[in-house]
Amino acid sequence: MQINWLLIAIGATATVVLLFRDWRLTFPALLLNYVALAFFLAEPRFVTPDISLIGEMNTLVLVKLITGLAVTMILTITALTFSREYGLENLDEFGLAELRRAARTAQRYRASQPFRMSDYIVPFWAGVLALFASATLPFVYAIAPTPAADFAWYWLVLTGVLTIATASDLLKIGLGLLLCASGVDTLYTAVESTLKEGGMNVIPLALLSQFHILLALAIAYLCGLLYGRLKTLELNELYKR
Amino acid sequence: MLYLLLVLFPISMAASTFVLRKNSGLVIFMALGAVIAEMLIAAQIPLDNPSLFLGVTLTLNALNRMFMLLFLMIGGFAFVGAWSLPHGENFVPIGLLMLSQVSAVLLLQNPFISTLLLALTGLTAVLAVVDLPAGTSSLVGTRAIAAALKYLVLMVVAAILMYIAFVLATIFRIGELPGRISLSRFILALLAVSFSLRLALIPFHAWLAGLVEHAEPLVAALVITLLNTSSLLALLVAFQTFPILLTDNAGPLRVMRIGALISTLLGAGLALGPGSLRRAMAYLILYDCGMVFYGLASVSSIGLAGAVFGTLNQTLAVLLMLVSLGLIERPDGRPPGMARRDLLRRWPVAGTGLLAGSLALIGMPPLGGAMSRLLIYQAAGENGWPELLALLTATLLALLALIRTAHERLLGPSEDEATPEPLMLGETELDRPAPRRLDPEPRSAAALTLILMLICLTVGLYPGPLLTTIDAAIHELAFIRAL
Repeated sequence: MQINWLLIAIGATATVVLLFRDWRLTFPALLLNYVALAFFLAEPRFVTPDISLIGEMNTLVLVKLITGLAVTMILTITALTFSREYGLENLDEFGLAELRRAARTAQRYRASQPFRMSDYIVPFWAGVLALFASATLPFVYAIAPTPAADFAWYWLVLTGVLTIATASDLLKIGLGLLLCASGVDTLYTAVESTLKEGGMNVIPLALLSQFHILLALAIAYLCGLLYGRLKTLELNELYKR
Repeated sequence: MLYLLLVLFPISMAASTFVLRKNSGLVIFMALGAVIAEMLIAAQIPLDNPSLFLGVTLTLNALNRMFMLLFLMIGGFAFVGAWSLPHGENFVPIGLLMLSQVSAVLLLQNPFISTLLLALTGLTAVLAVVDLPAGTSSLVGTRAIAAALKYLVLMVVAAILMYIAFVLATIFRIGELPGRISLSRFILALLAVSFSLRLALIPFHAWLAGLVEHAEPLVAALVITLLNTSSLLALLVAFQTFPILLTDNAGPLRVMRIGALISTLLGAGLALGPGSLRRAMAYLILYDCGMVFYGLASVSSIGLAGAVFGTLNQTLAVLLMLVSLGLIERPDGRPPGMARRDLLRRWPVAGTGLLAGSLALIGMPPLGGAMSRLLIYQAAGENGWPELLALLTATLLALLALIRTAHERLLGPSEDEATPEPLMLGETELDRPAPRRLDPEPRSAAALTLILMLICLTVGLYPGPLLTTIDAAIHELAFIRAL
């Protein structure tokens, strides 16, 4: 039996996104997920090579790699610049006082939230549930042309949904949405490439990539706004006020 | 190439207006020019003349042209409204971008592309929800961020469900997997949930209430009118592309109708409950969304005509309501933080506009919604009297809710008529403070409200030309002929 390392990479990286909260772990995992997915879709049963760069590959793979890189860069740059302050010069005294109060509240919250294993229990069991469902569904309701492709898209969509469901901060919600989008992207590419012998239509593929990038931009924008406003990305702080 | 011009011209104008966004007046004029140019182009494009671009067919039929002109008109009105109503720094560029995206949805008759474009419109709208005016001294509200986040998540989920449904529909073959639940039912269920999310049907309505309550009225108006309506037209394209979903699914369609009935009843019932003026308006819109979806789910030519006409009316009525709401909520020179009861006296044009928009939404004659209601009631009558009774009850509840809101917020006695007190010892008339002079309604916004009211009235009094176009377009639909 041949081990599909790309499928394992897709599964493992999505699991990291589901389990961990630190963006220094989840963003590289997201990038690796995009890379693994691009090479997974590069299999000859889905697309035939049409360009020669490092080796023979399809343009589709290159597009997916660029999309993944763009998405991760957008999120990483946003995360690296969270601590910067923008537009303070226009704020009145009330706004500045509110920002100072928010910073103090966020600092207190961070200090009172040490590392706890219990925070990882719900995501862990959610991951187990997703694994069970993703392993079973390709045999119960096969949609994609291969069981591996079925597992990949079911796994990505389910981990994405469960990441959103168990998320406690805005960034995790965004990562969950991106995983869901990757799952649907995989399903569409796998199915359409099998149905259309003459090659896939370029506009839906371009729009899919644009959707990933704009989604990352929207998440980054909202994260920047929320952090600028509350000095935290925690959702309970957002809904508390 | 005119098709591409319709899509790309607003994008280029959006980029230009983004660069010049600090100069609000100039930007609004540029946007109005772009909208007028777009309307001229849309009016000149020959109908049903498909053109192939990168393997995708672009075409414009009579129905879509009507809605494209309507969208452009709505966009133009929103830009005029932006002259005097509060809006974000990037409202005009985002509005133009949304106009480009909905134009593309109308031109590209491909369910996959429409889904992605609808998802992109949702992402664009998120930026407008959290947009603050240029040079503002206040912080963006946490409620606005929460509303934007809710909208983002729900729209992405809707797009994902829709996309999965279309992939399944592509591989679906009749008679496969005999003895098991048909795949077409699963596809229809996915489509029903995804479009319920987009059209804000209860219980998938959370985003609409948050949006109306916490976003600027003009932004809420653009999102509800442009994006919801284009979603409905995309659903028609989906049914047209995959008619088997309807012919194979009489039972699930009944469930969809019942869902729409429940949504209509609950929307009207919630509007009757206590809450802010904005929340009451949001629930009235929810009621109307349920009504329109019922017409669509009835999958008869009468019901569909009612749904399409209802969508057209919703677009006009919601803009009228929200522009009026924006006017009413302007600082009026009186002490803030108090719930006023005399809004009709204080803002006569805006108050009348709010009432007229709400009445049009409920379908009261002689306004625009009456004809659509008649058609939807007729379709409901064909499906049995319980369904008709449920719709009539919902309309009655909505009317009661409007009467209650009007009584509490609009029709009260003037709060400015202070009784003159006698002069105190040693006091003269000159010692007294000058009588307070309250600003009248801004002329441009008041004129816009009056024009919208006039359009609603005209559509209600002379629905014939629109109905003829809608009827002809619906009878051309393949799934209607197949049923």
